[in-house]
Amino acid sequence: MKWWLIAWREIRWEVFLDRTSLLRTGLFVVIPLFFVVSNRGIPPGAAGDVTLIGLALQSVFFPALSGVALIAATFSTEKENGTLVPLLAAPIRDFDIVLGKLVGMVVPVMVACVVTLTAAYALAANRYGAERVARVLTPELLYAVLVVSLLYLVTTGSITMIVAARVKSSRAAQQIAGLVIALSAAVFAALGFIASQLGEGWPLLALGVGLVLMDILALEIARRVWNREEVIGRV
Amino acid sequence: MIDVRQLTRRFEGTLALEDVSFQVHPGEIVALLGPNGAGKTTASRIIGGILAPSEGEVLVDGVSVRKDANAVRARCGFVTDQPSLYERMPLRRYLGFFARLYDVAHPDVRAAELAKLLGLDDVLDRKLGTFSRGMRQKVAIARALVHDPPVLLLDEPATALDPEMSQMLRGFIVSLRARHRAILLTTHDLDEAQRIADRVVVLYRGKVLRIGATADVRAAGRPSYTVAFAGDAETARDALRRAGIEAESASARDGLTALRFPADDPAVVNPTALRALLDAGVRVITLAAEERSLEDAYLSIMAEARR
Repeated sequence: MKWWLIAWREIRWEVFLDRTSLLRTGLFVVIPLFFVVSNRGIPPGAAGDVTLIGLALQSVFFPALSGVALIAATFSTEKENGTLVPLLAAPIRDFDIVLGKLVGMVVPVMVACVVTLTAAYALAANRYGAERVARVLTPELLYAVLVVSLLYLVTTGSITMIVAARVKSSRAAQQIAGLVIALSAAVFAALGFIASQLGEGWPLLALGVGLVLMDILALEIARRVWNREEVIGRV
Repeated sequence: MIDVRQLTRRFEGTLALEDVSFQVHPGEIVALLGPNGAGKTTASRIIGGILAPSEGEVLVDGVSVRKDANAVRARCGFVTDQPSLYERMPLRRYLGFFARLYDVAHPDVRAAELAKLLGLDDVLDRKLGTFSRGMRQKVAIARALVHDPPVLLLDEPATALDPEMSQMLRGFIVSLRARHRAILLTTHDLDEAQRIADRVVVLYRGKVLRIGATADVRAAGRPSYTVAFAGDAETARDALRRAGIEAESASARDGLTALRFPADDPAVVNPTALRALLDAGVRVITLAAEERSLEDAYLSIMAEARR
């Protein structure tokens, strides 16, 4: 359980004490809520339902986007400050370091996602009617949205981690993380749209399975890239 | 305790270490010396289980770094030139975190113990970001000792410390030797190495140039003697030359002049030199064996290697 020690340290002493990351996450939480309250109105029927689902998706994806930048920052900052060396000198498996770092970033971001989704749901219920919102945003759908955002975060986080292992400065890592955010948002949106056009059944299921596979692949690559040999050569 | 056997390490075609062998025994301080890029840090990192050897073997406390790197890491305490601390954490939490990573039985008790040992017990709850350079280096040492390792790898531990702190650190390292730790000290500070190292290993371009007891390395080379006198240096030099002894200027004190000359057989050369000087009317005050510092020895070893 050493990965949890690393994760908890990240959560307790880095994420919650880093004003910049808190501010950034806060911004990514406020934006989707602003979209909910600033929307002029939701039309009745299927189009309105899609808008509500879109708002729910935004509520989890915006905070998730902030997580990618957070992951890029944590790895490259550790490299820059040299704090990675004592960690690599400790009797911990490479996998524990990778997992601990990832979980340490994913947990707070997922908390932000849940908070934003809950707040967005409450605001939407207040504005567009509780009954309608409850009919469209079913517990199953909300759960699915959160799972997809988690998968998205793990995939992009792993990719960002791979990149951060290769670059020297946190600035470069942040720039590449920005690129990952933009590209991944476009790819995910396109895949989701295509899957929904193909039908409600297996294409969406296939998309989910595809994401899980991508997660496993990305994590495995991250683990290989983050072995001591590779990292220490670049510290 | 540390047994390095024919260690070779390559980095993408570059040979960082080649066929390096040496040992560090319990209760011994060995200084790893060499210019930048000699392979000191690479060697230290391989011994600490952070890097893998390309060829050869390293045993730490009998455990092979190739077979069980994690067990080797658990037996080593690593101090680098930069303290590299998590600035937002208070000292107590920081040491507790590393104690848990090293599976220490009572992490918080150990953290308090170490803080007391290094005189940091009054700042246990202060964030590390507020610590001075000296205090930070103490924390890095406490971190390395958190699991009470039998082997300590100190990579430039006194970098950027003031003289008082350096002296304190030296005293502390010596006290660890007394507690039977095997200590590998990587340093550029030859004065520090001369003061505390039992043996030295000189690396150059990844190879071992010289290895031996500090006193032996200092003594190695042609023995020389310094004669101090009142009078003209040229007269004395001519007198020595006539006796077949080539002398060069040396530094002298108290208004005296001094010359240094080599003497492979001092029992023969020194009386000859003394007689020649006295016959020439030179008023000799002292004749003494020239004691080489480790720095002199190191520089002459390096000059020899570069030739």
